[in-house]
Amino acid sequence: MIELSQVSKRFGDETAVDDINLKVAKGKFCALVGTSGCGKSTTLRMINRLIERSSGDIILDGQALEAYDPVKLRRRIGYVIQSTGLFPHWTVARNIGLVPRLLKWSADDIQARVDELMALLGLPIEEFAHKYPHQLSGGQAQRVGVARALAADPDILLMDEPFGALDPITRIKLQDELASLQSRLHKTVVFVTHDMDEALKLADHLVVMRDGRIVQQGTPLALLQHPKDLFVESLLGGLERGLKQAALTRVKDHMSSLGPTLPSQYRISADFSLRQALSMMLRDHTDRLAVVDQHDVPIGELSLRKIVKEAQLEKGSMREA
Amino acid sequence: MSLLDALPTPKLRRGGCPNAVLASLSIVMLAVIWGMDAVSVAPNRIVQGTGVDVLGAIGLPGALLASLLILAIGGLASQPSRTNYAAAMGVVVLLLALMPFGLMVASHFLIDPTLPQARLGIGASYWLILFILLLCLIELRLRLALTRLWPVLILTGVGLLWWLCASLWLDDLALVQEFNARDRQFIRAVGQHIVLVGVAVGISIVLGVLLAMLMRRFRRLQKSAFAMLNFLQTIPSLALFGLLLAPLAWLAANVPVLAQLGVSGIGNTPALIALVAYSLLPIVRNTYIALEQVSPDTLEAATAMGMRRGQQFWQVRLPLALPVLLEGVRITTVQAIGLTAVAALIGAGGLGTFIFQGLGQAAMDMVLLGALPILILALLVDAALGALAEALRPGGIQ
Repeated sequence: MIELSQVSKRFGDETAVDDINLKVAKGKFCALVGTSGCGKSTTLRMINRLIERSSGDIILDGQALEAYDPVKLRRRIGYVIQSTGLFPHWTVARNIGLVPRLLKWSADDIQARVDELMALLGLPIEEFAHKYPHQLSGGQAQRVGVARALAADPDILLMDEPFGALDPITRIKLQDELASLQSRLHKTVVFVTHDMDEALKLADHLVVMRDGRIVQQGTPLALLQHPKDLFVESLLGGLERGLKQAALTRVKDHMSSLGPTLPSQYRISADFSLRQALSMMLRDHTDRLAVVDQHDVPIGELSLRKIVKEAQLEKGSMREA
Repeated sequence: MSLLDALPTPKLRRGGCPNAVLASLSIVMLAVIWGMDAVSVAPNRIVQGTGVDVLGAIGLPGALLASLLILAIGGLASQPSRTNYAAAMGVVVLLLALMPFGLMVASHFLIDPTLPQARLGIGASYWLILFILLLCLIELRLRLALTRLWPVLILTGVGLLWWLCASLWLDDLALVQEFNARDRQFIRAVGQHIVLVGVAVGISIVLGVLLAMLMRRFRRLQKSAFAMLNFLQTIPSLALFGLLLAPLAWLAANVPVLAQLGVSGIGNTPALIALVAYSLLPIVRNTYIALEQVSPDTLEAATAMGMRRGQQFWQVRLPLALPVLLEGVRITTVQAIGLTAVAALIGAGGLGTFIFQGLGQAAMDMVLLGALPILILALLVDAALGALAEALRPGGIQ
């Protein structure tokens, strides 16, 4: 668990981070979003003390940050940056094994851990263990970066726009892999990005920052439904907000049981998002889809009218609450 | 069928356009071989030799063979491919290896065995061909993408062959006669030269790296230190030796401890001081730049992973800086090898002794006896340290 209370950072006269309060519960994925220069990276780097804050308190697992030796603290916090920061003169295996080596693990343990991580991140050992960073593609290099951050099995992972320099296809692939890793590993993640789709897709807790301040924070759904001001609204995509919200909802949460009528000839998997369902309806000129399970057996039905109606209800109930 | 299909497509030549560099080099070599004196003959050491052209030196068959081989280089270069370049490389090496045999033939034709003082001088075309062949070697190394170790190996092999020929069969060569007259002296001079350069460069590396580290720690030192080192570089070497003479002589006369250590106005001490003064700038500059150029992202990652300052320096900053740092050592060493020749003037010994003695006696071959080894030493050190720096590039990045 990470807790920041009234944290500020000033560089000379400039205030980079202004009186921030933020709690990230254990095992949660927190995304800091905002335009460049809003202080999100600075906030992240205060957590592993790459930058020392000017005032306020940061508490990590119940202890004030000052209670930790900064070097030892960093060894138990994974850190991934956009430019990967891999050491160009070391092989992939050596790069990944860095923190275990700093922690003086035995050679066998390091080797085993490196192999495990390379398998976890889809880097075949024979092919990649002895390559140097300049021989890797951007996506491969960032996988190595993530593996290196995870090497000593830290509870906390700090990621500073890790996928910002990748092409869209690789980026989406790595986002999906990170999401599936997170669902298994349950790290406490603080993730900085300016890509709102990325944040909506990955985060449990979304923090929107502007000019060093937190404008709004909450679950992605809550922010989508009730953006506090025009800035948050435009960051969340303005008119596209409805679709972004639909992207966060699964088909199976909105389907109705099979009726007496024949199921539609257009089929969609129950695990797809509502956004994908809407897109299919538009493409296939239909307002009804048959929902199928992984064996392609119909298990329910999805209709446009019902989606719209439920969205209205949700909005109403949120208002009352 | 469209109109485009009916048009004849120009055939693309495989491997691209002819290599202009090698082609023109081979033309120049042909002109040199037929137009300039290959060797010179002199009845004794002091008399100016008379030039002999290629036909007189190695006869028509020899001249034709040489011309054919040179043409082959140009021919192979006109249709570039890996095999052709490798073949051209073979021809260049063959020519280099044949050159001493040409001298043997020439000495057989031209030197009268009844005249014990008669000697064969190496002529302008021989030197030029040697120089141009080295240029070909450099060009071919780049085309074949070989490491810098290759020319070193090839030239070492060729050099050994030449040495063998010279010591066994080339007694009439003026250079060999000069060597035979003072072989002990020569070996000692080479040793002195290498020791002087080695000690000077060694001291410069230690001082230079220390100074560069201090400059990193105390930024204000940086400007004044670089200004001082730049100023030192502008003093002519001879003047620096002269400037050191008086104060060192005074020190030796007034501080007995220093005199016992061998400090004096002439000899090794001023030579070393001057060499170190000149060597510091390239070492400090390259060390400083090398340490500063390491990417801040990499260093931040090192900090963020939990490396301590010392670990960061030894495991990340220094290894990444090493190639550029070695580049500084290379420049310094080559420069020091040349400067040490001048140090002979103040009695420091070394190969410069032969140069200045030869100049004094108007014996150009003796000058060569000093100058050639200096050239070879410089080339060897240059190539060897270059190859080392290349091998140490992180992960083989070019």
